[in-house]
Amino acid sequence: MSNVETTGTRSPSRWERLFDRSTRELLVGMLFAAPYLVLFSVFLLYPLLKGLYMSLHEWNFLEPSKSTFVGLENYTRLLEDPAFWNALWNTLEFVGLTVPLIVGISLVLALGLNKELVGSRVLQFVYFSPYVLTVSVVGIVWAQMFAQGGVGTQYLGWLFEGSPLNSKFWAMPAIVVTTVWWQAGFYFAVLLAARQNVPARLYEAARLDGAGPWRMFRDVTLPHMKNALLFVVIASTIFQFQVFGQPYLMTKGGPVGSTETLVYYLYELGFQTRELGFGAAVGYTLLLILVGVSMLNYVLVGTNDE
Amino acid sequence: MSNADSTQSVLNRVTDRDVLRRIGLYAVMYGLAIVFFVPYWRMFQLSVTPMSVLSQGGFHWIPPELTFAVWQRYLLQEPIIYQWAFNTFLVASITTAIVLVVDSMIAFSITRLDWPGQGIILAVIMASFMIPGYVNIIPLYTLINDLGLMNSYWAIILPFAAGPLGVFLLVQFFRDIPEELEEAARLDGFSSLRIYARIILPLSTPILTALGLFVFIWSWNQFLWPLIVLNDDALYTLPIGVVTLRDVNALAPNVIMTSLALASLPLFIVFLLFQDKLISSVQMQAGTG
Repeated sequence: MSNVETTGTRSPSRWERLFDRSTRELLVGMLFAAPYLVLFSVFLLYPLLKGLYMSLHEWNFLEPSKSTFVGLENYTRLLEDPAFWNALWNTLEFVGLTVPLIVGISLVLALGLNKELVGSRVLQFVYFSPYVLTVSVVGIVWAQMFAQGGVGTQYLGWLFEGSPLNSKFWAMPAIVVTTVWWQAGFYFAVLLAARQNVPARLYEAARLDGAGPWRMFRDVTLPHMKNALLFVVIASTIFQFQVFGQPYLMTKGGPVGSTETLVYYLYELGFQTRELGFGAAVGYTLLLILVGVSMLNYVLVGTNDE
Repeated sequence: MSNADSTQSVLNRVTDRDVLRRIGLYAVMYGLAIVFFVPYWRMFQLSVTPMSVLSQGGFHWIPPELTFAVWQRYLLQEPIIYQWAFNTFLVASITTAIVLVVDSMIAFSITRLDWPGQGIILAVIMASFMIPGYVNIIPLYTLINDLGLMNSYWAIILPFAAGPLGVFLLVQFFRDIPEELEEAARLDGFSSLRIYARIILPLSTPILTALGLFVFIWSWNQFLWPLIVLNDDALYTLPIGVVTLRDVNALAPNVIMTSLALASLPLFIVFLLFQDKLISSVQMQAGTG
């Protein structure tokens, strides 16, 4: 700023005379930061802290002042609640089936479309487009496909005798298939870019060394796509952990709770039985699990960069 | 001669293998595309199948009779889907506008201005990146209730706009814009506001478009949260609305499928128009992961 003054193109304004430079930067800086910080504090930080507070109380929704402090009771109750363990187990089953399928299919799609194919734009459109659908469209269409008389029962009916959505064993796999169809396109786009960023000369060099397709894949493609693959695994794990819409729309968590997931369980506690304190404890437990997954991400990526 | 022959046969073998590989590749890629396409086909096919065929049961890939009656009904006679589409558009556009303005402002403040404490603030925002939205729904619900925002679009817009993804992306992008441009502008007496509006924002069009597209799509598609805070049909967004239509028309798959197809059309058109932009936007997000 002193430059401006000495060259004399401009005389200092009142604003500049009133505050020195660092005060001005602080004021302007806070002004620019304020709108987001207000949103962030009110709608993200505050609920986060309030959730912790609520989870230590027997919460009274209508008259919060009548809530009673119960310490860690909600958490100990949680650990003894079979419905919680059931929801956790179902969620793990869902994530454990969905993530590997998403990674595998999106990798196949990405590697295949990396080659020059006739109609590759159309293929890309078909693979990616389910991702722009809302979960209610996805859930309802697939519920129809798996219903009695749908595509699923028409061709695979011998497997599950009737609709898979009514089977304790097959309902979850049906939801997994639905989810893979919905989500794989997004990760396919991520992996396609990663594959296209592998320098072509590396493949030339490998070919000169007499490497076949499998060795090229193992020694060139995989190592160079490692970060992208890691991103796909972590991002899809965190996202799929919060599955709600598909079981809500397709099975209502049934049959006999076999597709009730953690967020579904949270939803029921909060918005059907109104056990808000206990529900907040479930929310916090879910938070801890997912922060754990994220930390693992940092550890893995951190060691990876060196 | 024999030498040339053997070269020829090696070449043949190589090209044979290549041809086989290509055939295999096409079979896999188009096979998967057909599988991916089946739900779309079923949605469309059932939407144009008359009730008389549907009520007989039986499975068809191609319906023996066609009718566009349900499409006509929703397109011309019952405005409810337009109403929901408008609501959804309103929510998604306001959310997108707020996110772009507010996030770029704070990202500008953190990367281009210098004030004490900005490092800590950025660290807190980044840390919140690990907190997935759904775990907060119960305390957020009580907050929205206390603020009297139940059954209003602000209940959907404001919590979404508080998310840190945009700040995260923009901070990374703004950092890489060279200082020189800004210094030259400061020497010319540009205020911070002008530097933000005239230099930083125009240079960031690609990342702002990418962020805007995704915020728009995600907020358009939100399901759980609007389900909780909206309870008036007239205010519903499309994702919630089609669920009530399904519950009302449980025995008429043609009605359900028509409403789903109509509900999907707007974003499908967006995707058709911005296919390349959208695909490259996915990659920008992943680049920061």
